[in-house]
Amino acid sequence: MTDLLAAPSVVPEAAVTVDDGRTRRRLPLGLWFGIAWLVVATFHAYMASRLPWVRGENQRVEGAGRYRIGPSADFWFGSDKLGKDVFARCVYGAKLSITLASVSIVVGLVLGGSLGMIAGYFKGWVDRALAIVIDSLLAFPALVVAALLIGRFDVLQASDIQVAGFGFEWLTRRWSIAIVFSLLSIAPVARIVRAQTLSLSEREYVLAARSLGARTPRILFREILPNLVPAMVSVLFTGIALLLAAEGALAFLGYSIKAPDASWGLMINEARVDIDQYWWATIMPAAMLFMTVLAFNLIGDWVAKRFDIREAAI
Amino acid sequence: MRYVLQRLFQFLIVFVIVTFVVMVFTRIGSRDPVRDLAGGAVGEAQIEEVRQDYPYLDKPLVQQYVYWLGDFVTGDLGRSYLQSQEGIDMFKQRLPATLFIAFWAIVIGLLLAVPIGVYSAYRRDGPFDRIASVSSFGVISMPPVVVGVALLYLVVVRFGYFPTVGASNYVAPWDSPIGHFKNFFVPALTLGLGLGSVWSRFLRADMNLTLQSDFIMLAKAKGVSPGRVLWVHALRASVLSLVTSVALQTSALIGGAVISETFFGPKGIGERLVFAIQGNDILIIQAITAVLVVGVVIANLLVDLLYAVIDPRIRHMRQLG
Repeated sequence: MTDLLAAPSVVPEAAVTVDDGRTRRRLPLGLWFGIAWLVVATFHAYMASRLPWVRGENQRVEGAGRYRIGPSADFWFGSDKLGKDVFARCVYGAKLSITLASVSIVVGLVLGGSLGMIAGYFKGWVDRALAIVIDSLLAFPALVVAALLIGRFDVLQASDIQVAGFGFEWLTRRWSIAIVFSLLSIAPVARIVRAQTLSLSEREYVLAARSLGARTPRILFREILPNLVPAMVSVLFTGIALLLAAEGALAFLGYSIKAPDASWGLMINEARVDIDQYWWATIMPAAMLFMTVLAFNLIGDWVAKRFDIREAAI
Repeated sequence: MRYVLQRLFQFLIVFVIVTFVVMVFTRIGSRDPVRDLAGGAVGEAQIEEVRQDYPYLDKPLVQQYVYWLGDFVTGDLGRSYLQSQEGIDMFKQRLPATLFIAFWAIVIGLLLAVPIGVYSAYRRDGPFDRIASVSSFGVISMPPVVVGVALLYLVVVRFGYFPTVGASNYVAPWDSPIGHFKNFFVPALTLGLGLGSVWSRFLRADMNLTLQSDFIMLAKAKGVSPGRVLWVHALRASVLSLVTSVALQTSALIGGAVISETFFGPKGIGERLVFAIQGNDILIIQAITAVLVVGVVIANLLVDLLYAVIDPRIRHMRQLG
């Protein structure tokens, strides 16, 4: 139980023993850091082309000695071996990574949340059947399957195979990554939502609603779903953090966005071999990745603690 | 016993689903699996050879799967025509490196987690607990790639002791313990740090609850020494969630091993799998994922059985049910 921002109806035990309002109101430093970092990062990421202090994504800075220069007032994060500004590429990489991760986790929340709710509410054979599906999905070595699928989607895009008259020219790397990440996020979400639904469906107000003659959809959407929101918000943030990390790993294996575009994992992978010659091109994107994952984790963990969701806590 | 059989049956279903789905995945966008297996742009003679070895590849997917499963169970792990290597030889060559990385990572993780977790719980909210809590949260938020970069920069480049990027080789500990340490320490540490932080948090949380329970009070009242109370009475009662987490992390561990192998070197099964995916070496992809899934499943099963060993209450409940 954390002693934070307690609403009057759910005063946690810890807050009762605290003698004044001082500690009760204060949010943890980490949360502030997380929010601040995300605001700055997303602002930069989505406004990049309009900000005067961010150079173009692939804009090269011409002139002798512009390659591999260290961090300075002009190049905050230095420049890489092609003379591109590492800071600008970090910013552009942020946009792609964050967009992909958030879109995928939302899809995963909708699909996995429905599965988890159905499994947790109906129990019995429905639950058992869905449990096997969820267990199977969890047993996949996620990173490997992601690499495999993205590799095959590349082939599919290049081929002239048609399903029901539609080709697959649209299936670029961005789409395949979004599809694969959505698929991968279904099972963990379903597991958490199922556990939550199981305990929620035993509550008195659900029993009350049922004895008043409420139909199943009403109970699911009006009684249970609103109470799942905190868990889902928590999963949203920690899930984005996980997917950002996964994107980094995929890029590292060569299965993320392709070269002229920027992504943090890609930048790390490009420059890591020469880390002893110019460390900034590897360390800086790695630091950005770490800070962003940390920020999402901090927020997700705070939500989980605030609403006492055991399954979603780190 | 009945419980074990039930679990075993459940895991069999999971195994079949996962391996079948992986097989379907390898066929996405492919018109002719025989040609893929032979290596793409090859002559008619080689394709004919593959067709003779694996005549079932033009049958419907379900039939192919049954043939493949039969082969797999009887020990025929497929063949890589790209590398001219039998699947079984490939495993002999590559599996030890991955197993060692995973093993040492788990050892490092536990060596970090148990002392930190126990001491944090013992001196709850003290300076050590706070520092440990913040730093373990930080390390959890580090993706394997970032840990790899950090270790590379802070350890490998600074001190010329460890082999650099991709230069590590597989050295068996019984051949040369020092060489083994040199080649495996950094990759294992890459994974072990993350595992250790996750586990120390689990252990601390669990331990906090245990230390408040009555039997700890009783042990203290009886005059059992504080060290014994902590390390024997409380620790044994608190390892349940730690053990669960070890099982849950196996899948993540595999992913991490792939990264760490590709990053630092001792080329193991994960690196081979990525290579197979790039070359669309379908039988090798199927064989390796199947073996990995079996590994995950066995880990889960072992943990399930360990529960009963650790916690007598669970043992009794299972015997009754």
